[in-house]
Amino acid sequence: MVAPQNELNASTRKLKNLIYDSSFRSWFIQIFVVVVTAGIAYFLFSNIATNLRQMELPFGFSFIGSTAGFDVSWSLIPYDPSMSYGRVYLVGIVNTLVLSVLIIIFSTLLGVVVGVLRLSKNAMVAQFARWYVEIFRNIPLLVQIIFWFIVVFSNLPGPRQSYAFLDLFILNNRGFYFPFPAFQPEFIWTAIAAFPAILAIVLLQRRSNVYRKKTGKRLPYYHALLAITVIMVMGVFIVSGSPLSWVIPTLQGFNYKGGGFVPTALVAAFTAMTIYRSASIGETVRAGIQAIDKGQLEAATAIGFPPLKTLRLIIIPQAARAILPPLINLWLTIVKESSLAVAIGFPELVSVFMQTSLNQTGRAIEIVIMVMGFYMCASLTISFFLNQYNKRIQMQEG
Amino acid sequence: MDNRATQNTELGKFIPRPSRPPVVTSHGLVGWLRKNFFNGFWNTMLTVTVFTLLYLLIRPFIDWALVNAVWSASDRRECLAINSGGACWAAVIHWFNNLIYGRYPDELQWRVNLGLSFGLLWILPLNLKRVTSKLQIGAAGVILYPILASYIFLGGERSNIHYLLACTGLAYLLIVYIDTLLLYLGSKKSSQVIELLLEPFLGEKADQVGFSLFLGGLAVLGAIVFQGIELEHVPTESWGGLFITLIISGFSIVMALPIGIFLALGRRSTMPVLKWFSIATIELVRSVPMITVLFMSVTMMPLFFPNTMDLNKLAQVIIAVCIFSGAYMAETVRGGLQTITRGQFDAAKSIGLGYWQTMFLIILPQALRTMIPNIVTSFISLFKDTTLVSIIGLFDIMLMARNISIDKKWFGLHSEPLVAISFLFFIFCYGMSQYSQNLEKKLSKN
Repeated sequence: MVAPQNELNASTRKLKNLIYDSSFRSWFIQIFVVVVTAGIAYFLFSNIATNLRQMELPFGFSFIGSTAGFDVSWSLIPYDPSMSYGRVYLVGIVNTLVLSVLIIIFSTLLGVVVGVLRLSKNAMVAQFARWYVEIFRNIPLLVQIIFWFIVVFSNLPGPRQSYAFLDLFILNNRGFYFPFPAFQPEFIWTAIAAFPAILAIVLLQRRSNVYRKKTGKRLPYYHALLAITVIMVMGVFIVSGSPLSWVIPTLQGFNYKGGGFVPTALVAAFTAMTIYRSASIGETVRAGIQAIDKGQLEAATAIGFPPLKTLRLIIIPQAARAILPPLINLWLTIVKESSLAVAIGFPELVSVFMQTSLNQTGRAIEIVIMVMGFYMCASLTISFFLNQYNKRIQMQEG
Repeated sequence: MDNRATQNTELGKFIPRPSRPPVVTSHGLVGWLRKNFFNGFWNTMLTVTVFTLLYLLIRPFIDWALVNAVWSASDRRECLAINSGGACWAAVIHWFNNLIYGRYPDELQWRVNLGLSFGLLWILPLNLKRVTSKLQIGAAGVILYPILASYIFLGGERSNIHYLLACTGLAYLLIVYIDTLLLYLGSKKSSQVIELLLEPFLGEKADQVGFSLFLGGLAVLGAIVFQGIELEHVPTESWGGLFITLIISGFSIVMALPIGIFLALGRRSTMPVLKWFSIATIELVRSVPMITVLFMSVTMMPLFFPNTMDLNKLAQVIIAVCIFSGAYMAETVRGGLQTITRGQFDAAKSIGLGYWQTMFLIILPQALRTMIPNIVTSFISLFKDTTLVSIIGLFDIMLMARNISIDKKWFGLHSEPLVAISFLFFIFCYGMSQYSQNLEKKLSKN
C-alpha cells in the first residue's frame, strides 16, 4: 500500500498536495466563481450595449425629466399629464404606499379577530373562522382581486342610486366617497401647540414609568396632567377660531363632488388583499396565542389578576413575542403584493411606471432598476426598523 | 357518610354501590351540543348569530350556484332566458376544454394527457415504500422528464439528440416499472439480473455497464419503433389553461430545489465570495414582488441576448419563476439546515467524509426530510402565484377564464368562470395543504 506513493515523482505529489489543500481549494473555487460571473456579466452587458446602440436608446436616467403626457386615474399627490416621468414615479410610490398601509392596518386588525375566533370554545365560531381561513387562503389572490373588482364593485349602482351610510360615506360603481378634513391656515397654531404637547406627554409617561418601577404607584396627578395638556391644545384650537371643517361629498349633477375619494380599483384591491392576508395573519395570531403556556393564564388567575389586565399584561406581551417576527414578514409581503393591483388598473408603481411609462419610453433597464430599487429600499427599511422593535420586545425576557 | 353497604355484608368487606349515570346534559349528543354550542347565555347567542350569518351568506350562494343554475345552453341569452337568477355553468362547460388545455388544438390534446400522465407515473414509484434508489429515480426524472415531456408537447421537427433523449426517458421509466414489478414479485432487479449475466466478461464493472447497456438498448429499440410517428408541431404560444399553469409551477418547483440547495449551502459557506454572492442573490430576489420579476423577464431579458436569438416567452417566464422560487426555497432549505446539530457535521468529518459527501449523504437528507411540509407549502404558494403570468399575457387558466367574458356568445359573463376556477384552485391547494399537514404529523411522530 505504501509502495505506490513512493513511486510518485515530486511534481505529482506537489500537485496532489495542492489539490487537497483546503485553503488553496477555497481560493480556487472563489476565483472560479468570480471569473465565471464576470464572464457572464460581460456577455450580457456587451449584448445590452449592442442592442441599445441599435435601438438608439443610450443608457441613462435623463428621461425622468421629460414630460410624461399621460393621465393617471387617481393620485394622492397633485399630478397632471404635463408633469415629468419623475413625478409619475413619485405618484406610483405614493399610491403603492397608501394601498399597502391601508391593507396592513385593516388586515392586521381583522387577522387578530380571526385568530382569536379560531380559538373560541364555541365550536360554531371556531369552525366558521377555520373555513374563513381555509377558503380565502387557498384561492389565488389575483382571482380574488379580479372577482371583487369585476363581480362586486363594478356592479354597484351608479352615483344616483349609490349606497350611503349616514349620508357621509358613499359607495357606488365609481368608488368610495368620504368626508375629508379641510384645514384653514389658522390651523397652523394648533399644530404648533400640539408639538410640545406630544413631547410633554411622552416625557410624562416616561417619568411615570420610572416612578412606578421605584414605588409601585402611579405618578401623583398623572391623569390630571395628561388632561391639562390635551385641554391646552384644544384651547388653542378654539381660540384660533376652530380652523378645521369636514368637507362632505354631495351629489352634484351626475357625480359626487367634494370630500375624499378613492376609485373602485383601490376599494377592490384593498378589500381582496385585506381579506386574503387577514387569513394568514389569523393563523399567525392563533399560533402565537397557542404558544403561550397554559400555566401562565392559571397563574394570573390564581394571584387574582382581573381578566382584562391578564390579557393586557400577561397574554399579549408573550403572544407578541411569538407573533411579531412572522407578522413583520407578512407586512413585507403585503407591500410587495400590493403590486397585484396592476391587474385591475389601479395606478400603483408597477402599473404607472413599469407598464405605461415603459411602453412609452422603451427604457426597460432604467425603469426595472428604479422599480426594483424602490421595493428593495422599502423592504430593507421596514425590516430594519421592525427588527429593531422586535429586538427590544425580545430583550425584555431577562 | 353512608356505610350501609359495609354493614350489610358479613365480612365487613367494602362493596361500592353502583355509580349513578351521568346527567343527561353532560354526555352524548345533547352534552356535546351543550358543551360546544350552548354553553351559557352568551355562547348560545353567539351560536345563533353565527348560524344566522352563515345562513344569510350561504343560502343565496347555493340558490345561485345550484338551485337556479343553468347547466346547458348555447349562449348567454339562452341562459338568461331559462333562469336569470342563477349561475350559467353552461359557459364554463362549453369552455372547459380551453380552461384545461388553452388553445392547444382539440385533436392533439391527448398528447398533453399523455405527457402529464408520464409525469405522474414518474412520481408514483417515489411514493411506494419498498422501492429503493428513490434519489436516482427523482434525479433522472428531473433531467429526463422535461426532455420527454417537451418532445411530446411541442412535436414538430426536433433534433435527433432530443429524440434519442426522449426515448431514453421513456426507456428509463419502463425500467423503473419493470424493477418495481420484479421487486413486488420478490425477485432481483432487472439490472442485477443483467449484472449476473455479464459478470464473467466484465468483472466488477458489470453493474454500471449492464445498466447502461440495458437502458441504451431499450432507448434505441424505442427510437426505432417510434421512428415512423411524426407529431404535429404545436408552438408554445397556443399552450395555455391549467396545462401551462401546471407546467410553470411544476417545472419551477423542481428547479427551485437544486437552486435553493446551492444558494443555501453558499449562504452558509465559509468562502466570503460565495457567501456574499448567495446572500445578495437571495435578498435581492426576495425583496421585490414577483410581478416585477416577470415584467423584467419579458421587457429586459431580450436586451441581454443578441437580437438574432429567438426568445420564447414561456421560457423567459419559466426562468424568471425558477430564480424567484429558488431564492425562497433557499431560505426554506436554510431553515432545514439549521435544525441539524453540530454533532452530525463532526461525526461525518471524523469518519473522513469530505464536504460534498457530508452534505449529500448526511446533512441534506435529514434537513430535507424535515423540510418536506414547508416545501409543499411553498409549492402551494407558487401554484397560486402562477396566475400572475396572466398579467404579462400568457394564456394560463386565469386569462382563459377572463376570456370567456369577451367571447361573443358569452359576452359579459364574469362571475361563473371566476367562481369555477376559484373552486378548482381551492380543491388543489386545500388538498395539498392537508397532505402536508399529514406529513408533518407523521414526521413529528418518528
